[in-house]
Amino acid sequence: MLLYFLKRIVLSALIVFLAVLALFAMLNSIPGDPASIALGPRATPEIQAAYAAKMHLDRSVAARFLIFLGNVLQGDLGTDVFSNRSVATTLLEQLPYTITLAVASLAWAALIGIPLGCLSAIRPNTWFDRLTGIVSIGTIAVPSFLVSIWALLAFAIHLDLFPVIGAGEPGNVTDQAWHLVLPAFAVGLGWVGYLARLVRASMLEVMGENYIKSARAFGLRTRTIVFRYALKVAILPTITLIGIGFGVLLSGTVFAEIIFARPGLGKIIYDMVLSRNFPVVQGAVLVTVVLYVVVTFVADLAVSVLDPRIRDNL
Amino acid sequence: MNSINGISRRGFMHAAAFASAAGVIGAFPGVSYTQEGRRLVVRFNRDLDSLDPGYYVGGHPDNDINWCIMPALAHFGVKDGQGTWVPSPFTERVEPVDSTHIEFTLKPGLMWSGGYGELTTEDVAYSYDRMAESEWKGDYAAYSHVDIKDRYTGTIVLKEPFSPFMNTTLASGTGIIVCKAATEAAGGKFTTEPPATCGPYVFEWVQGQQVTLTRNPEWTGIQPFFDTIVARIVTQDETAALAYEAGELDCVQISSNALARYRKELPAGSSLTVAGALQYMWLGMNTEHPKLQDIRVRMAIQRAVDQSAVIEGAYAGTAEPSFGVVCPGLAGKRSSAGYSYDPTEARELIKAAGAEGLKLTLKTLNSQERVLASTIIQANLSEIGINVTVRPLDAGPFWEMGQESKGDTWKELEIWLMRYGSGPDPFEPFQWFVRDQIGIWNWERWSSDEFEDLYVQGMTEVDTAKRASIYTRMQEIMEDTGAYVWLTHEPEVFIHRSDIAGRFAPTGEMQLAYFS
Repeated sequence: MLLYFLKRIVLSALIVFLAVLALFAMLNSIPGDPASIALGPRATPEIQAAYAAKMHLDRSVAARFLIFLGNVLQGDLGTDVFSNRSVATTLLEQLPYTITLAVASLAWAALIGIPLGCLSAIRPNTWFDRLTGIVSIGTIAVPSFLVSIWALLAFAIHLDLFPVIGAGEPGNVTDQAWHLVLPAFAVGLGWVGYLARLVRASMLEVMGENYIKSARAFGLRTRTIVFRYALKVAILPTITLIGIGFGVLLSGTVFAEIIFARPGLGKIIYDMVLSRNFPVVQGAVLVTVVLYVVVTFVADLAVSVLDPRIRDNL
Repeated sequence: MNSINGISRRGFMHAAAFASAAGVIGAFPGVSYTQEGRRLVVRFNRDLDSLDPGYYVGGHPDNDINWCIMPALAHFGVKDGQGTWVPSPFTERVEPVDSTHIEFTLKPGLMWSGGYGELTTEDVAYSYDRMAESEWKGDYAAYSHVDIKDRYTGTIVLKEPFSPFMNTTLASGTGIIVCKAATEAAGGKFTTEPPATCGPYVFEWVQGQQVTLTRNPEWTGIQPFFDTIVARIVTQDETAALAYEAGELDCVQISSNALARYRKELPAGSSLTVAGALQYMWLGMNTEHPKLQDIRVRMAIQRAVDQSAVIEGAYAGTAEPSFGVVCPGLAGKRSSAGYSYDPTEARELIKAAGAEGLKLTLKTLNSQERVLASTIIQANLSEIGINVTVRPLDAGPFWEMGQESKGDTWKELEIWLMRYGSGPDPFEPFQWFVRDQIGIWNWERWSSDEFEDLYVQGMTEVDTAKRASIYTRMQEIMEDTGAYVWLTHEPEVFIHRSDIAGRFAPTGEMQLAYFS
């Protein structure tokens, strides 16, 4: 287990390094002078020079990468070129909003999707199974940004049930929860389908296993067989999917944060790319990558605890 | 004539280009009493960057906040029906006494936060001296110093006459006064946490989310109308419009798409206000390019472009027709161009120049309106036998394509769609077309001795009528090069509840302390 753990740590560090390298390459391949774009075409030479100095634009891309990497290793994510705020402080303020949205989206999707998958599996090829299949594929097929716009128009504008913008008044938990409903619905909807289909497929496989047949032969109740024995095994691929799919989930939150004008990592990356505030973009992407790697890592660890055979297959 | 809320658009653009209904000059709405619970929710379309006037990016929303929490000698307002600078509520008197001296007297008893004492002339002198050394020193090129007479009275001395100074410097975002003692204690610079504030409001910022302005308990000046102003940061125009329709925002700057929609059907209890139209868009031509060196070709293009079709097709009729670079409400704004849409004459000019079958590339920013405008121009020019390829570009390559310092793309530049923003003085747009700007922002690459002379005259002339005459002539010179097809002035439009009277800077910032 320790060896597995160490291997995963090394692999995770490599993934983060490569992601940061790719990010740097992409940011620096954007055409145009960052100073002109960030400050407007007619900023004075003094303002452009100050911006260029803060961004180390007079240095090579490789030098800038090494500066960034060196700072990161010392725990310094840099400084916002406009506000001079610490990037780490900015991201720490934004991170809870994104995590809350991602967790809320996944939570409601799991609460609906997993039972739907189980029910479909124990009633295969019935009208309920077919209906669940259609709904699941439908929700998977619709991108979250489209669901966001539709939900906003339908529930916030037309029905006037939920707020349109923001994350609620700071410090008011009820208001913040109220503002979370529509974005979480939009981001999580596709996951209902994913989870339902995956759990159904896994459950069908598990339900054919001998130990399940034995349990049936012993006269155990279906509910006990499904939720106590079958689901425990069938859920393993789902945990892996959640880990791997966390990146997709974060992409979904980007659209929801922009459309619902919510604060969060996705929105800040979007805004800062537009304003060419590279230090914040670099820091935010690094945090996102680390978040993704950590979630995948935790998911893999959870699976390896539940299924020791995995530990041998890095 | 189009109208907004029963007010003719033209009348609006002339008289209210600088501000809206709040007519009290230089004073907040002026309630001598305070009713609790007056709350206004507005939209900021981007987050704060920095509030230090010397080292900020500028414009909205930094100016919107600064005008609520920091002193200034002048604000934008309306005087004698004209949009211009007005003395701010921080002053008892501001008066240009001659072409290089501006006398002022501060109101006594206005206190800085944090125990930094009273606002004095020392702060004014320190602020302007600091600005003259800052990243925004260009705004203070004419500034010399402040003569301090006493604690509240002083005189701003200019090195040379510069008539735009009040509008483009003192009333703009770079005219903000900082606290000398607090700024020095903070190391001479700050960003989003001013070391001391002095104004009707104090503010709290939640990055990426909102700015909350609440009454400043230490403020002894005239009280603003609203107890609390919440500015929600909504970057997407359509989301902001929807939030307005859902009642979550009271005042929102809207896109031309939303404006077109609201002109057809305005939400109940809403009004539209044009803050200003200080944008000017034109089709530019490189006079040095071999395909365009013959002025007859350029004149043909001027006459081939149907301006009204561009305004209707790309801007749904929401933009003002442009006849030069001077924007509505400013001295020298022309009411017509020296040419008109005439495809027949254009074809004759092309034939005379022997340019039949000419192929040109039109470069534009890749925004929806500009690409639409470009395709309309493409169709117009095809009618006179010019085959145009439209090439939409991202902001990076677009803003570099005419600059000699950014490579050789300027040599290949033929025609392009360009839009600049002006300040609230007619002097501003002309600075980009002088001889020194060739290869920088004068992408049309022409120059004229008369134009250069008039440019200097315009800066020093204080008589408005004479300035209007100078700037009219300068636009005629530009037009006579054949290198410009005037297109639009896009307005800065706000939708707000009908019972809210807003007040806006002509550049589109909200003067929130004046809202009532």
